[in-house]
Amino acid sequence: MGDYISVLTDNLDEFLAGFWVTVRLVAFSFVIAMVVGTLVAALRIAPSKWLQRIGGVYVETFRNIPLLVLLFISFAGLRRAGVGIGPWTAGIVSLGLYTAAYVAESLRSGVFSVSKGQIEAALSLGYTYRQTLRRVVFPQAFRTVISPLGSLIIAMIKNSAIIGVSLLALPDLLKAARLVQSRTFETNEAFLWAAAGYLVLTGLATLTIRVLEKRYAIHR
Amino acid sequence: MNYLFNPENWEWIVTGNNVRFILQGFAVNLEIAIISMVLSLIAGLALALARLARWTPLSVAAGTWVDVWRNLPLIFIILYLALSIPSSWRDAWEDVIPSWFPEGLQSGRVVAAILGLVLYNSAVLAEIMRAGIQSLDRGQNEAARGLGMSYRQSMRLVVLPQGLRRMVPATVSQLITLNKDTTLVSIVAIQEVMRHGRIVTSANFFGGVQAPVLQVFLFVGLLFIIVNLALSRLSRRLEIRERKRTAVGEVKGVRGLEEQAAAGIG
Repeated sequence: MGDYISVLTDNLDEFLAGFWVTVRLVAFSFVIAMVVGTLVAALRIAPSKWLQRIGGVYVETFRNIPLLVLLFISFAGLRRAGVGIGPWTAGIVSLGLYTAAYVAESLRSGVFSVSKGQIEAALSLGYTYRQTLRRVVFPQAFRTVISPLGSLIIAMIKNSAIIGVSLLALPDLLKAARLVQSRTFETNEAFLWAAAGYLVLTGLATLTIRVLEKRYAIHR
Repeated sequence: MNYLFNPENWEWIVTGNNVRFILQGFAVNLEIAIISMVLSLIAGLALALARLARWTPLSVAAGTWVDVWRNLPLIFIILYLALSIPSSWRDAWEDVIPSWFPEGLQSGRVVAAILGLVLYNSAVLAEIMRAGIQSLDRGQNEAARGLGMSYRQSMRLVVLPQGLRRMVPATVSQLITLNKDTTLVSIVAIQEVMRHGRIVTSANFFGGVQAPVLQVFLFVGLLFIIVNLALSRLSRRLEIRERKRTAVGEVKGVRGLEEQAAAGIG
């Protein structure tokens, strides 16, 4: 037991720094995922067949490609092509674009959860397509997507660990555990504390989602 | 764009053994994926049943186990196992594995990779299956019991066939995620597609033709997209057929979870 505590106290700075890098990676990627995801979702529900198809290709591509491959393409691949972007940008953009495909799917199914009758009613009352979306569809869709979006944040927390150990080598929480392990050879101790860090993050996310779900629950 | 479509940068595809080498690596990924899928489905069902058990200590223990493993990053689990699994396990694997197994799986390092994939995915799948079982109307189980079936009979003949069928789409999404996650085992030095891709892009391989990183990994990505799209098409077709056969409509209350699983989370 003493070992566990000393491994934490001796390397506290490193663990905390790693934790903070993980938090920032997730936060920045989430912004990108939401912005791009909303745009793609808009394409997928657009009135034009071609726009829908473009959105569909985006979703199918980014949902079926491994994140690690995306990281290789965006970091090493683009570098050789002469478009060098730093590890932070590459990591955040890759994780963001990857998650955006899932965000788009959640938003789209949220929109489709609003019954067609409501949309027809709004249109027949003289609302334009845009007004219908903004006043009738989105407020209701927002509530149904809270829990899938929450799960996506949890997935991002877990996926962010891939950035730290891939060739980008950002000093995130997992990287911190690895460095401490290679210095002290205390494998169980180093990984236990990193695991605690991840479980705190995913646990906090789970609790927040639960509170939001309760608050915005639709009582039918 | 010029760089991307410049034919010189695609020459590697036709020269030497580049493509064959990458495909050999990809085959290792698929093999690891198939083994992990089978084991995860079995372990996941066992965990789901344990979680639904009427004996509280068992259900609490299973619940904690599932919540811990599905909330940790998979790459974290694989790295930890690679560092902490005793070498005797690795030796045991190398002794046990039949020699006709593909070369990529002969190394003892595969143990950590497969064990990690199974620990993580069985926990996620257990959660999906539990939700499927619980979404079933309680009356089904009560009626079965009322007809004199034992708990086991009711589970096996009434509850599981219906509950699990509902979760087929979510399960398939998770299996697609598992398929993508096999790239993570490159971290423990298993010679799979990511490693092979990197070898191809290094100089002096196969007669000095150096393949560009961007094009090689676009090609690798395409391989995954093809296989995963085929998987999801197949599941959709099965689903439509099942729906016609059993006339089960959309299930209320589990949609959120399906999306969760679609995101590869749980």
